[in-house]
Amino acid sequence: MAAIIAAVANLKGGVGKSTTTVMLADGLAHFYGMNILVIDLDPQANSSQMLLTERGVQDASDQGKGVHHVLQHFMAGKPPSAAPFIMPNAVSLEELRLAEEHDKRTGWISSLPSHPQLRLRELNLEEEWYGKAGTPTTLSDAIAKFLHEAFMPLMPLYDVILLDCPPHLSPLARAGLSIADMFVTPTIADSVSTWGTKQFSDWVGKYIAPDLPNRNFVLITRFRDTKYARQVASDLREIYLKDRWFGPVIPESVHVLNAMDRAAPDSYNTFRGKYAGVTGDVRRLAERFTDFLSQRTGSTWQKVRD
Amino acid sequence: MAESPRLTPVEYIDRFFDELRSEVRTNPKLAARLVKALGGNVVFEDETKADIANPYQLAASGKLGFLAVFGKLKLPELKKVLKDNNLATRIDMNGKNADQLVDMLYDRAAAKVSERKSSIF
Repeated sequence: MAAIIAAVANLKGGVGKSTTTVMLADGLAHFYGMNILVIDLDPQANSSQMLLTERGVQDASDQGKGVHHVLQHFMAGKPPSAAPFIMPNAVSLEELRLAEEHDKRTGWISSLPSHPQLRLRELNLEEEWYGKAGTPTTLSDAIAKFLHEAFMPLMPLYDVILLDCPPHLSPLARAGLSIADMFVTPTIADSVSTWGTKQFSDWVGKYIAPDLPNRNFVLITRFRDTKYARQVASDLREIYLKDRWFGPVIPESVHVLNAMDRAAPDSYNTFRGKYAGVTGDVRRLAERFTDFLSQRTGSTWQKVRD
Repeated sequence: MAESPRLTPVEYIDRFFDELRSEVRTNPKLAARLVKALGGNVVFEDETKADIANPYQLAASGKLGFLAVFGKLKLPELKKVLKDNNLATRIDMNGKNADQLVDMLYDRAAAKVSERKSSIF
């Protein structure tokens, strides 16, 4: 079965896009044995840092791995290709590492990481493209075509490809959104995030996915349990984003922050050890997202771990 | 709580500092914070090192100073420092002796410092 491409995106910053990406990758790989590729399209490289550590991100870049190298490939007019730029191992969970060691791979995470250089590469590309009378739309269309062809050989290897998108519409981000099968929208239960989410939702619905409600999985993150936040969350479900799929509410928690801070590139933890007090939330996220995938694709996935 | 009206201002201040002194003797974390706030150097006593010493700060100032503080810690104390500072998981520490944990503590703290500290001051 070909991989499903899910873009984790919202134009509002600070809503937990990278954290959601990593929690989904861990949850789907751990509980359902899915092979996951995380593609970081954000020059802030936060999900790459969470998966690989800062040193890991730099090492990857030095080894020629990363989205900025893919973009360089595109700029040089070379044939579409992504596989050589992927870090094949971005696993931090002890259970997955042990399974691999015993040759019983049930769930794996690879990374096509980002690097802060990505934004500079994008700017160079934009200057060059617009200098030849190109437009932002023709550029994002050309990148989308390149990525689509570059990912084709990878599709049988993965179950889910997660695109961690930046909080802006760069040509690369637009290209990523346009090749996505579905959209995960993390948001926060407050008024500014609700408005930002509406803007993003309208834009994607108009330009990318007219059937957005069927393709959109919404996640309320960094939730502080107050009367105000409960009201906003309820309004999101019942009014503003009615008919979307909602995941479990992810609490604002030091456990989430700790889980995203990998001690070293060779540091491993059990799922329960990594997620501590939010273990159940991440498990429910994986379950609910898998239900969403099943509803969208007609395929089913069985749990391989509890 | 009512105070005797016969105390002088100096006696009130004395009482305040007596309380502070008493707290500082029994609360090493507060003591370290106060001394740092006053610009002083914190001297780590053996029994309080694991609670007070900041491995990132000490790693940034050199390995000798780092080892002077963490080099003599016992295995459980080293594990606590590594865990409390998010520098290792239980899995990472399994089967390691104290020397190996000190090395891990220094290597990982120094790596984080070099990755996160700005090169421009």
